[in-house]
Amino acid sequence: MNREKNYVTELLSKQGINVSKNEQLLDAFVSDDEIQDSIISIKKLQKRIMEKWKIKTRVLDFKNTSIIIPNGTEGFDYNHNFDSQFFIEKEVISYAFKGLEELGLTFDPKANSISGKLIANGSFKIQILFKVEGEEDSSELHEKSINFVINPDPKSLWKNIPSDKEAIYWKEDNRSSAMDIGDKKIVVSSKRGRSHQNVGSFRDDDFAYKHFEKTGWTVVTVADGAGSASLSRKGSELACQELINYLEEEVSDETWNQFDIEIKKFITSKDEQALINAKELGIQSLYQSVLHSHKHIKKIAEDTYDQYPEIFTNPRAKNNFDYFHSTLICAVFKKIEEKYVIITFSVGDCPIGIVNKDKTKAKLLNWLDVGEFGGGTRFVTQAEIFHSKERPPATRFNLHIEEDFSYLFLMTDGIYDAKFEVEANLEKTEKWLTFLNDLDGNNEDKIKVDFSEEHEVVEEQLNNWMDFWSKGNHDDRTLAIIY
Amino acid sequence: MRRLPVYFLLDTSGSMFGEPIQALNNALSGMISTLRSDAQASETLWISIITFDREVKEVMPLTDLQSLQLPEITCPRSGPTFTGKALEFLCEKVKNDIKKGTPDQKGDWKPLLFLFTDGKPSDLQLYKEVIPKVKAINFGAVVGCAAGNLSDDEKLKELTDTVVHLETADSNTLKQFFLWVSDTIEQGNKSMGTSSTVTLPPPPSEDIIVI
Repeated sequence: MNREKNYVTELLSKQGINVSKNEQLLDAFVSDDEIQDSIISIKKLQKRIMEKWKIKTRVLDFKNTSIIIPNGTEGFDYNHNFDSQFFIEKEVISYAFKGLEELGLTFDPKANSISGKLIANGSFKIQILFKVEGEEDSSELHEKSINFVINPDPKSLWKNIPSDKEAIYWKEDNRSSAMDIGDKKIVVSSKRGRSHQNVGSFRDDDFAYKHFEKTGWTVVTVADGAGSASLSRKGSELACQELINYLEEEVSDETWNQFDIEIKKFITSKDEQALINAKELGIQSLYQSVLHSHKHIKKIAEDTYDQYPEIFTNPRAKNNFDYFHSTLICAVFKKIEEKYVIITFSVGDCPIGIVNKDKTKAKLLNWLDVGEFGGGTRFVTQAEIFHSKERPPATRFNLHIEEDFSYLFLMTDGIYDAKFEVEANLEKTEKWLTFLNDLDGNNEDKIKVDFSEEHEVVEEQLNNWMDFWSKGNHDDRTLAIIY
Repeated sequence: MRRLPVYFLLDTSGSMFGEPIQALNNALSGMISTLRSDAQASETLWISIITFDREVKEVMPLTDLQSLQLPEITCPRSGPTFTGKALEFLCEKVKNDIKKGTPDQKGDWKPLLFLFTDGKPSDLQLYKEVIPKVKAINFGAVVGCAAGNLSDDEKLKELTDTVVHLETADSNTLKQFFLWVSDTIEQGNKSMGTSSTVTLPPPPSEDIIVI
């Protein structure tokens, strides 16, 4: 009775009518059945209005909630779990998804997840059809869109456009070779990178090697032409080839003989002076060969300019030499007194690594030119490498005396960036052992290089192995393995 | 893997309100789609978007293209263009974001910067002060874009040699401009492996003039 009284008092007072003096009248008024029924109806109606309002705000609230789901990639599995409390907290009582099937997805209400293998790419909208608490079974579903981005499969984006065979200094897109060299074998593969395939440009990497029967020495060179230098494909070829030519033609048999004598003396008697003498002979010869390569490329650059000045159009090139920029690494080695003497040279960011006979220890035989930012390398075509104080030329040459080895590797950054990632890893034996494992078939594509096979087989296997996929690493790849 | 970081500094001052900001959003989204289907960019590109009006906001921190979700860029109805403050903010960001090459860490490619404005800096003093700081950052390319007749090409020229002028900030011109930006970014990708700066592709139409 009191509740009804209060209700009427409040109603009347809102209209400016004060009933405090008419207490008796009010009592009689609210005990009337009709008035009582009316008050109950009004309260019911008010409650319904309130409920409807709440429903509207729940719907709006959910529609305004930003739902962000991670991007997917076409051809890959996708799975996104919604927080189990998410829909409950938003007072969403029933929900379903629309537009999933054409993307390859399904919704699992138990796990509260959408998942599947994505079969399209682009920007899509996924609809959520939903009802909120308070709505009846028969009421219509509301709709909310969420954005969903599916990236194209990265592998599908790469084109393979052949390089122009008519172009000056055209080079084969891929080249490989394998043969016996003394008591060791060599296999080398050099492949045009996807970044070049994609635009039809040339392989800038190169390699060369030679075994000198007469003296027993072997020389292996690997070079990586600079991406920004438009004729670097020729630069890398010349760098590799000319170094070998000079060693073969200009370094006398006497020098080689004298070297052998000094090294033997050192190995048998530990005579340090003999080692110093040998180093001088060996490193001098290699220094002269590198210098010859440098000079020869310079000459070819000038000759090319005389013949085709129209292709020298880069406003940033300081001289004709800059069009031929290339890195260069080299290993010259021979077995002497059951040991392997290896003389190395390097300019640029390509490593030379060696793994011992029982595959328990590996090391890097050179240091790499790297900068703060990507691309801070040095080239054999830069005169400064022969007189830099910061990076003294002498430190680029080294003489190593090693027990027998299982593998000697020379590679360009196309391999090293993908397989070793950072410079510090080249100093770690375990990383080299992982690399060996990788060559042994422990990789995504299960492609193995079986070094016990015939040359042609090993060469073909290595060529296949070289096509490995590595995100963001699509440069030319060259790998020389002496084993 | 080396990243190619790209910074967008976008003017959201009052004059951009309405149609221009809508056009900017559409053009950005078109550019992102184009880049997503570029083989090289889709794997290496990282994008950051900073807007500036009275306030400077990092609307999207440096994010890789594959997981990036473009936010809606909004702007107030009126207000100044604090370009100097924005550049100062950018310098701080770049310092923290960019990975330098060390024996244990792959260095990023040189970052690229695109500054888009339709007016002139309201904080001229700060703008002048911060220019040497921006230049000290080793950007692979800094492209200034001045849209519409109220923009000041000369002020941008103090920041960079590469200034692009757009006749208007309408939807079509902006779309073309940002496609040109994606070309430039793809060029940036191609010239990786060098210490030189990025070569700019030719502008797409006569409404866009490289000054």
